[in-house]
Amino acid sequence: MIFNSLTFVAFFLIVLAVWQLRLPWFGRKMFLLVASYIFYAAWNPPFVILLWVSTVVDWWAAQAMVKSERPLTRKLWMLASVVVNLGMLAFFKYGQFLLDNFVAIAASIGIDYQPAQYSIVLPVGISFYTFATLSYTLDVYLRRAKPAKNFLDYALFVTFFPHLVAGPIMRPTELVPQFAEPKYTTRPMLLFGLALITLGLFQKVVLADGFLGPVVETVYDARAGVPMMLDAWVATLAFSGQIFCDFAGYSTTAIGVALCLGFAMPDNFRFPYAAIGFSDFWRRWHITLSSWLRDYLYIPLGGNRHGEARTYMALLGTMLLGGLWHGAAWTFVAWGGLHGLYLSVERWLKGRFAGYRPERAMLVAIGALTFVLINITWVFFRAKDFTVAATMLQSMAGLAVKPVGMIAALPMIYAMVIVAGIVGTHWAMRDKTLEIAIERTPAWLIAAVWSLMAIAIVAEQGKGSAFIYFQF
Amino acid sequence: MLKQEGALPAGLRLTASDRPGEAQPVPVRDIPSQPWGRIMGFVAVALALGIVGLEANARRIGLHAGDLDNSEVAWVKERVRSDSAEVAIVGDSRILFDTDLDRFEALTGTRPVQMAIHGTSALTLLEDAASNENFRGLLIVGLADTMFFQPFDGYGEYVKRRGDFTSPSGRLGIEIDHILQRRLAFLDSNHRLSVAAHRLDPDFRAGVEGPKHDIWKVSEVGENRATSMWPRVEHDLAYRARTRWAWKGFKEKFPFTPQLIAKGHARAKAAVDKIRARGGEVVFIRPPSAPELRVNEEAQLPKAKGWDVLLTKTRAVGVHNDDLLPEVQRLTLPEWSHLNRACATVFTDAYVRRLAAQTPRVKLRADAPPRLTRDNCVPATS
Repeated sequence: MIFNSLTFVAFFLIVLAVWQLRLPWFGRKMFLLVASYIFYAAWNPPFVILLWVSTVVDWWAAQAMVKSERPLTRKLWMLASVVVNLGMLAFFKYGQFLLDNFVAIAASIGIDYQPAQYSIVLPVGISFYTFATLSYTLDVYLRRAKPAKNFLDYALFVTFFPHLVAGPIMRPTELVPQFAEPKYTTRPMLLFGLALITLGLFQKVVLADGFLGPVVETVYDARAGVPMMLDAWVATLAFSGQIFCDFAGYSTTAIGVALCLGFAMPDNFRFPYAAIGFSDFWRRWHITLSSWLRDYLYIPLGGNRHGEARTYMALLGTMLLGGLWHGAAWTFVAWGGLHGLYLSVERWLKGRFAGYRPERAMLVAIGALTFVLINITWVFFRAKDFTVAATMLQSMAGLAVKPVGMIAALPMIYAMVIVAGIVGTHWAMRDKTLEIAIERTPAWLIAAVWSLMAIAIVAEQGKGSAFIYFQF
Repeated sequence: MLKQEGALPAGLRLTASDRPGEAQPVPVRDIPSQPWGRIMGFVAVALALGIVGLEANARRIGLHAGDLDNSEVAWVKERVRSDSAEVAIVGDSRILFDTDLDRFEALTGTRPVQMAIHGTSALTLLEDAASNENFRGLLIVGLADTMFFQPFDGYGEYVKRRGDFTSPSGRLGIEIDHILQRRLAFLDSNHRLSVAAHRLDPDFRAGVEGPKHDIWKVSEVGENRATSMWPRVEHDLAYRARTRWAWKGFKEKFPFTPQLIAKGHARAKAAVDKIRARGGEVVFIRPPSAPELRVNEEAQLPKAKGWDVLLTKTRAVGVHNDDLLPEVQRLTLPEWSHLNRACATVFTDAYVRRLAAQTPRVKLRADAPPRLTRDNCVPATS
């Protein structure tokens, strides 16, 4: 079930109504668990089994780790959890990719291997809940967190529907304690939650799907012709807006939904297009993933504790795998690799010019350069293959042969106004939170903006198109 | 609330990115201090007024409640119904618009399952029906020759991944959607906010085919995908002219090589044989197109090379518009490609009677309504 669907509206109204009943806390939690399974099963019922497998295996692994003081036993249970979770992820998400690459490698050395055709349906959100459950066993193994006191709280942590299929990727320590005490929603919480839902859906339905997506598709999915430099840049900039509005829209909606039920979820975005440098960008973009990769991959790989060379290797390795997490395609690996390269160069420059303190104008210039270079990486993220990516980069560099215009004037203007609005907002808000900005805004203006967004969502209707991050 | 946290500037709160390698605490979500009740009240009133405004505007431009829009999920629903159908229809927009399901039912007692999709090769849909082992009825394949023999699936390529549209969520969603669309006219995908905003572009940028060149709303869709021409196309002369212009006379040349045509015939024969092998039958219908389009269609793919050979190779019954009686010829095609609502009924009446004469799979009821002619839909002055 996706947030921008009428099915979800009906589902959420029912959940909200039942949640307001003053039932015993255990009963309310059971209701929330069942509702979360329904939320997931509404997409493809059999895949709930995967969710159960992941939940049960990690619960037992964590329990076993707690009971044993032997390091080897603890490590084996941790590895069992990692193997089961990553095994499921590898089979469902990377099975075809691995097979295709094996066939290609075999062909390159003259072996004509033709495997049986099989089609694997990717369970929605598997990358997200796999990481969430892994963080549970890893935190228990690393003794950062105590295991959940009861299975219900733990199962709810994994399954809690606002974060289940596309994050924010929550850690057990962030959510499990919230199930310990009864939660009741106050009126301001409920109404502010609804405001966040409206904002998130406006970003997704109106901006990402309505105005930005078509511009991106016109160029990136063009059947013929090479785009002019202007069109290539506009499409790529539009995609930078689309991917932000799509994913930040999801996160904002998820946070709003959780708030309506009385739960707090962490920020997943912090105005990333106002980043000054790439390490700053990754502290602002998909925060719960980047911090997960840092804590469970980069640091275990050595982090910055074993010299410069090892640090660069850890950085690059983390970002390459981070790229692969997004999708089973080499274009995603290239996207991650490019970010790894950016981060490495930035680290080297920071070391080389350690005493340099840039002035405000220079900071803005670095911010602008960061944004442009981020857009280069989006080309690999959006292009369906390297041919399209190469064509786009060639056009963006003004080197295309016989380029043609592809985007009509008004759609182009709309897209650029929206992207400029997004970037401008990020700069205006880079040292603020949404909440503090809202608190400082007159009530009449909040009411007017909220109303316009709500009317725009209704007028746009939406076709219930899936969020881009669902495929990850 | 909203105090400075750690070393961050005032107003920022810590996130996981600020706490490397440690257990993340329970997040804190601040609720901005605002009169939320009053704000919500204002939003509710504004939203209600906004919906009233949208609905009033929709009805002003000719949209109707009960127009259910088309969707992949709606098609998949009909595909499931076709499992046990006595008669099903596949094809492109012409058979979709030009078949009046009510008339068909009145004549034969059977209501066909409508599975035609606009902008889609009938061959793709014929092959899909052939792949449905449960279907053993009569399949009516309506086709525009050029679209049938093109090597692309067209808009309805989604039929090959129909599993994507069978989720419980999707099925429930379309039911809710239809409940709303039966009551509200503005819920029309052709008149969404972004679509309307994009269509304000009258080709400002030279050399770029923008939204003006798209096919705008042409049809209305009723229950079970019963589709007919949107009345505005018929009655609004400017809108009708725009629609005609958007077809561009079907002048776009496509290389229909003998090999391509032969491949189309072979694919069609294989699909027809497959349906017959399990007890089903296939007939072909070629709905009319206006002379302004027909001349270009014929130039690209002559009837003798496409249609005639198709019937020979498949040994199937076919009803071409040219074969119909003179009194049901020269029906009204407001935008040249599809019949208006009234003439669709006449055409349906004509081709069903013709089929009944040619195949035992179609039988007229004893109390079938009387035959219709052009006079039933074309004003005497036209």
